[in-house]
Amino acid sequence: MKVRVKAEMCEGHGKCEKAAPEIFKLGDDDISIVLIEGDLPKELEEKAERAYRLCPRQAIELIP
Amino acid sequence: MTAPAIEPSDINLNNPEHFQREEFHELLRILRHRDPVHWNPPGEVSNGFWSITKYEDILFISRRPEIFISSKGIAGPGIKPEKLAELDFAAQQQNAGGNASIITMDPPRHVKMRRLVNKGFTPRAVNAMEPEIRRVTNEILDRIAHKGECDFVLEVASQLPLAVICGMMGVEQKDWPLMFELTNKVLGSGDPEYQTDIPEEERGTGQAARLTAMKGLQTMLEYFRGVLEDRRQNPRENDLPTILLEAEVDGEKLTEGDILQFCFLLIVAGNETTRNAISGGLQVLCQHPDQKRALIEDPSLMDTAIEEILRWTSPLHHMARTATEDVELRGKQIRAGDRVLMWYPSANRDEDVFPDPYRFDIRRTPNDHLAFGIGEHFCLGAGFARKELKVMFEELFRRFPDIEVVGPPERLRSTFINGIKHMPVQFTPER
Repeated sequence: MKVRVKAEMCEGHGKCEKAAPEIFKLGDDDISIVLIEGDLPKELEEKAERAYRLCPRQAIELIP
Repeated sequence: MTAPAIEPSDINLNNPEHFQREEFHELLRILRHRDPVHWNPPGEVSNGFWSITKYEDILFISRRPEIFISSKGIAGPGIKPEKLAELDFAAQQQNAGGNASIITMDPPRHVKMRRLVNKGFTPRAVNAMEPEIRRVTNEILDRIAHKGECDFVLEVASQLPLAVICGMMGVEQKDWPLMFELTNKVLGSGDPEYQTDIPEEERGTGQAARLTAMKGLQTMLEYFRGVLEDRRQNPRENDLPTILLEAEVDGEKLTEGDILQFCFLLIVAGNETTRNAISGGLQVLCQHPDQKRALIEDPSLMDTAIEEILRWTSPLHHMARTATEDVELRGKQIRAGDRVLMWYPSANRDEDVFPDPYRFDIRRTPNDHLAFGIGEHFCLGAGFARKELKVMFEELFRRFPDIEVVGPPERLRSTFINGIKHMPVQFTPER
């Protein structure tokens, strides 16, 4: 599974960073950055799914 | 003897009485358990609509803004097309769903318009405003401090969100009462208390509501026409009207109509909903004295308490969408063109998501409520709402820890806004 943030949707709520700090970090402009390029390690997939679900703007895309 | 059981087919959620009398939680519970995708038949004037009452189904719809669109109207079922011609111009205007504010806009234009202003609403921007919000809160509390009693809605809850949004919009303080009055006309249009332009014997009808909303809208647009005229000559820093006047989308300036609708939306959305969360929050805390005491003794509970207040009060009863294609949901066939109403207080009491959902619990974690909606149209002002609630309750309980609601709150007659119009409180005055 890969993760992408749609920067045009992100408004810096930071729910993803809280749910999965290994994967997401808010940048200086408050837009979420994905820290892991390419496929996520299996053990992080559940956290990525939680972040996807929690994002108020639904700015996170999970690519199987 | 027990009352006869209510069947889903008996339930008409287009009746504002159910909401004014607070019967709606029970009706929503019946629908959620027995007919979670429920067809509400048309009324004499209004369209039929689907009532969506499960959390997961509201997520499903909110995640598909291209299929479930906002541009045909976001509040209520709308008026039957064949009735439009019989009603006057005002009603037709209202049914058109407004021409161009972001709340009634669909992808892809919605995001582009929203991005013109959303930098002013991020958590970072909200945190930067916190000292100012605290200063304004204490000014408001100073005005009641010696009185020992007041109408909490008029004198406290309404004043903070009004000051914050009017400040961001550069509305002069002398005009804040007018913004309050016009907001009530637009969002409380179905309540006779605000139908002051209608002869008394005609108040309370659907037509009175439509005319009242239209009058509030027109007066506010007229007001902001004056503001824009001023800002063209005297642009200001950090001023939303100035930002909108200078902004471009797809290489084009916004039309005056677009900007006026934007200003109108920011004012009404910015002051009505947070007002009701503050009032409803104090009400529910006073109904649970043990939890109120726990919060006063341990202010570190404030963040989870605010989320629980938001879940509990769900300041908007619903948002409406219109399907653009046929969609099957829980075995029901939603047709292209059908209106769907997403009932947030029901999602926020969905047993599949919230354990023991009818228990108010200021420590509830997790608390992924949908009080602000979710997705494309997630409340732009959510950060301000949370901050205003937090600062208000911190300062209110610091200064007036024994504040109590001392009479029944007067509720708004509306299927859309979970409003409280008046709520008497008493407290030990400051010396």
